[in-house]
Amino acid sequence: MSKSLALIGRALTYLALSLAAFVSIFPFFWMVLGTTNTSADIIRGKTTPGGALVDNIIKFLNSFDIARVLFNSFLIAGLGTVLTLLVASLAGYGFEVFRSRFREKIFGGMLLMLSIPFAALMIPLFMMMASFRIINTYQAVILPGIASIFVIFYFRQATKAFPSELRDAARIDGLKEWQIFFYVYMPVMRSTYAAATIIVFMANWNSYLWPLIVLQTNEMKTLTLVVATLTAGYTPDFGVIMVGAIAATLPTLIIFFLLQRRFVEGMLGAVK
Amino acid sequence: MVAEVETSGSMQDRRRGGAASNLARSEQINGWLFIMPALVLLGIFMVYPILWSLWMSFQVGRGMNFSFGGFANIIRLTQDPVFIRALSNTLLFLAVQVPIMLMLALLFASALNDSKLWGRGFFRTAIFLPCVTSLVAYSVIFKSIFALDGIANQALLALQLIENPINWLSDPFWARVVVISAITWRWTGYNMIFYLAAMQNIDRSIYEAAKIDGVPTWARFWFITVPMLKPVILFTAVTSTIGTLQLFDEVNLLTNGGPSDATLTLSLYIYNLSFRFMPSFGYAATVSYVIVILVGVLSLIQFLIARDRRR
Amino acid sequence: MSSVKLRDVRKSFGHVEVIKGVDLDIEDKEFVVFVGPSGCGKTTLLRMIAGLETITAGNLDIGGERMNEVDPSKRGIAMVFQSYALYPHMTVRENMGFALRFARVPKDEIARQVNEAARILALDPLLDRYPKQLSGGQRQRVAIGRAIVRDPEVFLFDEPLSNLDAELRVHMRIELARLHKELKTTIVYVTHDQVEAMTLADKIVVMRDGIIEQAGRPLDLYDDPANQFVAGFIGSPKMNFLAATIVEKAAGNVTLELANHGRARLTLPLTGGTVGEAVTLGVRAEHFGEAGAGGADISLDIDVAEHLGSTSYVYASAGGEALVVEREESRHENGRSHIVVSIDPERAYLFDSQGQRIR
Repeated sequence: MSKSLALIGRALTYLALSLAAFVSIFPFFWMVLGTTNTSADIIRGKTTPGGALVDNIIKFLNSFDIARVLFNSFLIAGLGTVLTLLVASLAGYGFEVFRSRFREKIFGGMLLMLSIPFAALMIPLFMMMASFRIINTYQAVILPGIASIFVIFYFRQATKAFPSELRDAARIDGLKEWQIFFYVYMPVMRSTYAAATIIVFMANWNSYLWPLIVLQTNEMKTLTLVVATLTAGYTPDFGVIMVGAIAATLPTLIIFFLLQRRFVEGMLGAVK
Repeated sequence: MVAEVETSGSMQDRRRGGAASNLARSEQINGWLFIMPALVLLGIFMVYPILWSLWMSFQVGRGMNFSFGGFANIIRLTQDPVFIRALSNTLLFLAVQVPIMLMLALLFASALNDSKLWGRGFFRTAIFLPCVTSLVAYSVIFKSIFALDGIANQALLALQLIENPINWLSDPFWARVVVISAITWRWTGYNMIFYLAAMQNIDRSIYEAAKIDGVPTWARFWFITVPMLKPVILFTAVTSTIGTLQLFDEVNLLTNGGPSDATLTLSLYIYNLSFRFMPSFGYAATVSYVIVILVGVLSLIQFLIARDRRR
Repeated sequence: MSSVKLRDVRKSFGHVEVIKGVDLDIEDKEFVVFVGPSGCGKTTLLRMIAGLETITAGNLDIGGERMNEVDPSKRGIAMVFQSYALYPHMTVRENMGFALRFARVPKDEIARQVNEAARILALDPLLDRYPKQLSGGQRQRVAIGRAIVRDPEVFLFDEPLSNLDAELRVHMRIELARLHKELKTTIVYVTHDQVEAMTLADKIVVMRDGIIEQAGRPLDLYDDPANQFVAGFIGSPKMNFLAATIVEKAAGNVTLELANHGRARLTLPLTGGTVGEAVTLGVRAEHFGEAGAGGADISLDIDVAEHLGSTSYVYASAGGEALVVEREESRHENGRSHIVVSIDPERAYLFDSQGQRIR
């Protein structure tokens, strides 16, 4: 009796997981399928591949200066990631290694600020950028995100695993504090940096609201903004949009499949 | 900063008299130098704006013309039906979506935590995959799936679950359903990974001991897994709450707040107030402080509940 | 000249003083071992000599120069850490030459010194490996090699053998003794293992609660401990302590009564002491005699006997007092539940209620 009950439970588990897996994967399948169909077919729910792939790609490439858009996206995400990692790891290391009561209070205050929603910052930030006269520039997009409290917190947590004796040894070997950071800490912690790179790059790459506010001309737009722009209007061309969606998703998908384990480690870094 | 260097004194080197030694002073200086870039940037792009926002919330006027309005904006809040709509929509999304998502994530995680489960690697990757997509891309895909003649309606019609196609994005009720489904689709796997990692840190022998003691499966889940995951559950609850209260990308792209404000969220309303209509920055700042207060209060409540149960 | 002088050296963390005034002279080429229970401040003191911890008050001289404010790399010291602290991203060769690279020593000179140190420690075949490819003992040797390359006046060792297994530890201990002979430099060595201290040191410094309890040659500490703490810490197994009371006092002699041993009485020479004073009698395990050998006989219940082959340790008790007795003949005493041993007054120590030695 209980044996058959367990069997039913097992079957239900598989059923639920299969359903969840199907629901999770289907939109990806739909996206790929969509690139081969015309907009009308997509909206009609056509489930077979069509012949509009080349047409969709050409239309996508002609919709915007895509080379420029890709350059913008990679520059903003790439530069933003490098600066974020540098500033946040310096701070995380500094808070953990050089402890003082006063700095602990600052750190506590920063953790409280972690829950400040971006919505509360975007208006003053926009006005600030306007007064700096840097609306519609790369620096306006990148600057506000560099000092990410979350990433600082992540690096401080990770630094707890950095052996303090290595720093002692380096001091006896005659290294200055900044040399210890660049010649010992950074190479020793490279897997921490790798995990953080993935997370920060993805966040920057997918960022929507802030670029939407500060990037106002077509030649400054990122891929994310382009896909969103294509969607706006009364008759969006879904075939073209699917091509854009794939282009926007592909880098993160590739990173995910190449570095799956490190990716998850990076996400978990903060709670452990 | 110089004053702080001299007055703060490190925890390790507080002395009872005399000047701090060179070594102690260099530790102090280095401590500040390492965190200085982050502090400066946070000061400019976080502390200053949040204070400015507070000041602005007491200003009235359009565009860049401000004048002090006292509590005028707060009074306007209470009489603004669109704000009330946005607030109740946001709270509705929060109350419905976050519990469903976390429950699903917990169930999937405990199912996948079974080492005897066949194909767990596949299921884990599949369920996690959505959170790799960009918010914009998936919103667009959902929009096409839930078009009036779209694949969702076709499938439901074919399965004979409905008789007439549902007008997903034009019906207030179904538009909300789509938004909630979309967010749940995107974030369930993300939360599941946290639970899964925490579950793998639980000592297997605890479950074996419980099995030998004759504790049934559901009780092992409820009385062992859930309490041991409490810190992680709290973490995911807080981050999900913050995320949902700031909901913008999905509603902006899927429904743009419609139909007739049925899916308008606070963040989208702030955006509309600031950048879509004639800018009303002071009032928008007031609305944004509503989110700040909500986040603060809800985080505190969740924290207190978790702490209370622990005792 | 590479002597080390500490004068009234103090260290506080916040309001807690952990080093409470240390005076110590370490001679040139001397092998000095700091020993004491964990938390006694021995590692902190070593790190203060290294310059890794600031000195709150007092004076530190190395080679006749005040070093309180000098950067660790300029004190003429090298340090071997408990965890070895090898840079995991560098090969053995790079690890050993790292300090010289930052001292702007020419490349071929670095190579020469690294090779020389590798030769001394037989590290030649390992030079291009990474630390994680080495065994514990090899890492230990690399850590020592890294210190040798810097050609320091003073070597500092922080519990260097505590991460090795027992067999390797003995091996490395002998290796270290050999190295000291070969290098002819001053060594300051921290350990909590008194056997390491006894076997390696020219001078042992016994510490407790941030002060030096006693400093001296190993056998001097063993034969002539200054107080009950040192007596208990040096020597293995630990010295036995028996509660006693002075019951009689005659010219140059006192008579003790051992409370837990059927009021057995023991007379030994002592000029001080007052009748009625509570004292502690200290007897080493190896100093008990056969019953009737003179002094006082006490009868003990055997709890456990450990037979090590050449000798045996009998763990016994009487009146709630646990004692260890070393017995060479004990392997023939299997099955006995009692033994009677004598205490030789000539070889017994006496401590007052403060733990200070009075005889």
